[in-house]
Amino acid sequence: MLEVRGLTVRYGSADVLSNVDLTIGTGEVVTLLGSNGAGKTTLFCVLSGLVRPSAGTVTFMGEDLARMRAGRIVEHGIAQCPEGRKLFPQLSVEKNLMLGGYVHRRDRRAMKQSFESIIALFPALEAKLGAPAGSLSGGQQQMVAIGRALMARPKLLLLDEPSLGLAPLVLQQTLAAVAAINSTGTMVLLAEQNAYAALAIAHRGYVISDGRIVLEGTAAHLRQNDDVRRAFIGA
Amino acid sequence: MIFATGLICDSARGACGKGRPRVHFFFQELLNGLVLGSIYALVALGLALVYGTMGIPNFAHGHLYMFGAYAAFAAITVLHAPYWPAMILAVVCLAVLGAVVERVVFRPLRKAPEVNAIIAAIGLLFFLEAVARLIWGSDFRVLPTPYDKVVNLFGFIATQQQLIVIAAAFVLMGALFYFLKRTLLGSTIEAVAQSPAGASLVGIDADRVATLVFAISSGLAAAAATLIASISLIFPEMGFVVLLKAFAVIVLGGMGSIPGAIAGAFILAFAESFSAAYISTSYQDVVAFGLLVIILAIKPTGLFTRAT
Ligand SMILES: Nc1ncnc2c1ncn2[C@@H]1O[C@H](COP(=O)(O)OP(=O)(O)O)[C@@H](O)[C@H]1O
Ligand SMILES: [Mg+2]
Repeated sequence: MLEVRGLTVRYGSADVLSNVDLTIGTGEVVTLLGSNGAGKTTLFCVLSGLVRPSAGTVTFMGEDLARMRAGRIVEHGIAQCPEGRKLFPQLSVEKNLMLGGYVHRRDRRAMKQSFESIIALFPALEAKLGAPAGSLSGGQQQMVAIGRALMARPKLLLLDEPSLGLAPLVLQQTLAAVAAINSTGTMVLLAEQNAYAALAIAHRGYVISDGRIVLEGTAAHLRQNDDVRRAFIGA
Repeated sequence: MIFATGLICDSARGACGKGRPRVHFFFQELLNGLVLGSIYALVALGLALVYGTMGIPNFAHGHLYMFGAYAAFAAITVLHAPYWPAMILAVVCLAVLGAVVERVVFRPLRKAPEVNAIIAAIGLLFFLEAVARLIWGSDFRVLPTPYDKVVNLFGFIATQQQLIVIAAAFVLMGALFYFLKRTLLGSTIEAVAQSPAGASLVGIDADRVATLVFAISSGLAAAAATLIASISLIFPEMGFVVLLKAFAVIVLGGMGSIPGAIAGAFILAFAESFSAAYISTSYQDVVAFGLLVIILAIKPTGLFTRAT
């Protein structure tokens, strides 16, 4: 389980995140809702060890993440599917997936197993394994990006705006896959601007604005909230 | 001749007498081109690998090559090592030196503007040359080789060493290709080049990849230098001409492209050896660089530019 306490990230004199508290419990899908520039990606960077907090603590399964190298965090069970996917565009889909399992490279059997379960989750990728990842459609690239993160066998999967640039139908399929991943016990933190889609699969959620958590609650509660409806659902 | 190409004082070209049929002459130049291209390819590959992965134009690369030649020379003359162990020792020494150079010289400049790395590389180049001169003096040296016999291959003449250069270069290129394309560790090099953020998110340590790339690059240069040092000469400035040629090769092939570096190496080498044979040795470099200008005029980004 993940516990973020009093997290502050400062670039120069500006606080990009201020005093953020957030938890994810066993088996949960939690969504982080916020408009552009709210600080979602920055929080994800902290969780993956790419940005160091200026203040506050981040613990996962009892260990402090603030001092861990990015690779160590992946080994420890947190994998991220980043905003914009950050695939290796000229490498084959298969290589992209295998590199996702880089921290488990000595355990060939486990890698083969994860690989097969990812192909089972995204059957559309099977015919594309040899193709350069950059040549795939947006939806398929999103599958590769999620698959790559799953190859690390995460206990917590971070998804940063997976809806970006996806057609509604493809988005639905992607979110169905995320729900399926969660059903096997993987915790999920889903950053989104598309609250309607995110709240459909989340158990709980947080609303972040200007680097502060301004609202939190169950998915049902957030769906009812007038501010959330106005800001993100457009009702 | 040595100063024209900086690499080959070819006995084979002299051995090709006036009375021989033109077809022999052609094969002789083909052989010279293959030898030269093999060396250019090994040197240019290292340069392309470092540029393609880290964006560093390593101007000290030719001088690492020079150090490789001296390392093999020292192994043979001081340690009395046989030829192949001497080459392996030179490759290992240079791989370590390359790793140290990355760690000490280039890593601190990773976040600095590119010009800082360029200046550091030039500084390193002069430093390496001064050290070589201090240890080995300015004399010309030749690497002793047990493979100095002339062989007659279907009627045309080659030295054993020339054939070894070509064979060894192809084996090394094959090994490099296998490593980059077929192993997970090799893939991490391309992964870091294509998406540094993606690479760190899957747990690849970019620092370790940088060290690895410099070690491979310098090791290949040492292999090339050891291979050619029995045909050509060893001296402290020998890195300059090679560096110039290797840069021409990677510009020709498309900066940072691996297949481009190999193709560019052989295009340049054949242009040089055939222009030396059919036009004049004194026009050799002019023709080679003329070709470069023409190809770049037609395709300014080089032959094998990567799509981004
Ligand atoms: N490296 C950086 N230096 C300075 N400011 C940054 C940096 N990265 C992000 N920011 C700022 O932090 C804020 C939050 O950005 P981000 O975390 O990307 O938000 P979101 O993902 O919610 O759109 C933005 O105002 C952005 O301009
Ligand atoms: Mg973002």
